[in-house]
Amino acid sequence: MPGKIKILYIDDEPNNLTGFKASFRIDYQVFTALDTTEAEIILEKHPDIHVIFCDQRMPVKTGVEFFGEMRSRFPLPVRILLTAYTDIESVIDAINHGHIFRYVKKPWNDADIMSAIEEANKFYISNSLLTVKNEELKIAYNELDKFAYSVSHDIRGPLSGILGAINVAANLNSVTEMKEMLALMEKSVKKLDVFILSMHDYYTLQRGELQLTEIDMNYLVAGMQDMYKVYANAHQISFTAEVNQQEPFRCDAFILKLILNNLLSNAFKYQRKELDNKRVALRIEVSRGTATFWVADNGIGIPRHHTEEIFTLFFRATSQEAGSGFGLYNVKDALIKLNGDIKVDSVLGEGTTFTITIPNK
Amino acid sequence: MKHRFIVIDDSELDCFIAEKMIKHTIENEQVIAFTEAARALEYITQQGAVTDQPKAILLLDVLMPVVSGFDFVEAFEQLPPDVQRSYLLVALTSTMNKNDLSRISGYKSVKHLLDKPITAEALLALLGEIDATAGEPLAGSL
Repeated sequence: MPGKIKILYIDDEPNNLTGFKASFRIDYQVFTALDTTEAEIILEKHPDIHVIFCDQRMPVKTGVEFFGEMRSRFPLPVRILLTAYTDIESVIDAINHGHIFRYVKKPWNDADIMSAIEEANKFYISNSLLTVKNEELKIAYNELDKFAYSVSHDIRGPLSGILGAINVAANLNSVTEMKEMLALMEKSVKKLDVFILSMHDYYTLQRGELQLTEIDMNYLVAGMQDMYKVYANAHQISFTAEVNQQEPFRCDAFILKLILNNLLSNAFKYQRKELDNKRVALRIEVSRGTATFWVADNGIGIPRHHTEEIFTLFFRATSQEAGSGFGLYNVKDALIKLNGDIKVDSVLGEGTTFTITIPNK
Repeated sequence: MKHRFIVIDDSELDCFIAEKMIKHTIENEQVIAFTEAARALEYITQQGAVTDQPKAILLLDVLMPVVSGFDFVEAFEQLPPDVQRSYLLVALTSTMNKNDLSRISGYKSVKHLLDKPITAEALLALLGEIDATAGEPLAGSL
């Protein structure tokens, strides 16, 4: 943890405050307060105080009372009581009710205080981690719910379609109709396959660790061109690629290909069918420790108010082509893993450009 | 009494199936399919109120991208009452959770539910239901 641990000491005797500060200000950032009101002001200003020492015998209220009261307002700092008196009953009571973590006898010796601080700090850190983990779990559960719902719909959908088609087959009279239906069934099956593959990518991204290798952008691009050549020709889409790699670049090849594939397949899919000069352009530049990728198309574009939402799981901005709903989510996820970034520039009806930046590892 | 049918489903295959099922089960040729709810709304708005024929039965898929079945029903209920009276909304349900199911059946204009994939038996049962309730007075509706 960067910086010194912040601790607060409350005591009605100024000499004690001075003595405490003098002893510990080198190792810790020490705040002091003469009374509980002053203490609360300091706690408001410094919510990252980890440990609070409080004297038990004070004029307005005892340390135990103070801790019991402020606990709900300031739940995070760990509470330690300083007591010279054998006020054992109330101290034990306080410990048992969780109002205080432990007590230290007055007059203290430095070693006792320091070990109390270290123990208290460990407790503080594990509690904070717990809170963080709880938040993460909540998010994960929410995602799981959304996921389970969408998955059952997106998997069952095509399957029940095919079942329905089989039912209808009994009623079809002509081979032409049958062929028409078979073509539609094929589309369903492919859609299902794409979905399952994307889901597989999703899981791989979640679990996997980065495997860094040197990337030759020209080689990467050649692979992409190979992959999309047939589709591009069949649909009269021109596919251009430009590479400017000025230095070696290390990255996870699987994740990089996942990102580019998702963006390229979208670019090819969401074209304006009637357009004569349909094109998809890929440009890569590696210089000064960063790789920048531009994937541009002159297709249907994305409505302005959706440019944030398209990265949400299962969000679809168009019903024109069947997307799995995973693609851009996976891209965003992948970029988080690589510490990269993505920007969308799109005009509805004119085209879209995605700009990706990834730092060299 | 031949009902006209309109099918709204984002899956081409499901539209095809619905069409074929209707044509072969009830020998009815009047089926129009839309894969986009927005297009269907345009069509209905253009058609206006239809008074010289029995109501058109509208099979509506609920879970669709961009304009969902929910969006469609909400827009539909904004149309003039005599246009609404020309249609009978049937929601196509499939793998829907309880919330979505109760939400779609909560709409006033959604009169029936039909499970996907549509089978001949389910279609005939639906028509039986529709024709049975057709004789009831319209007092208090719309």
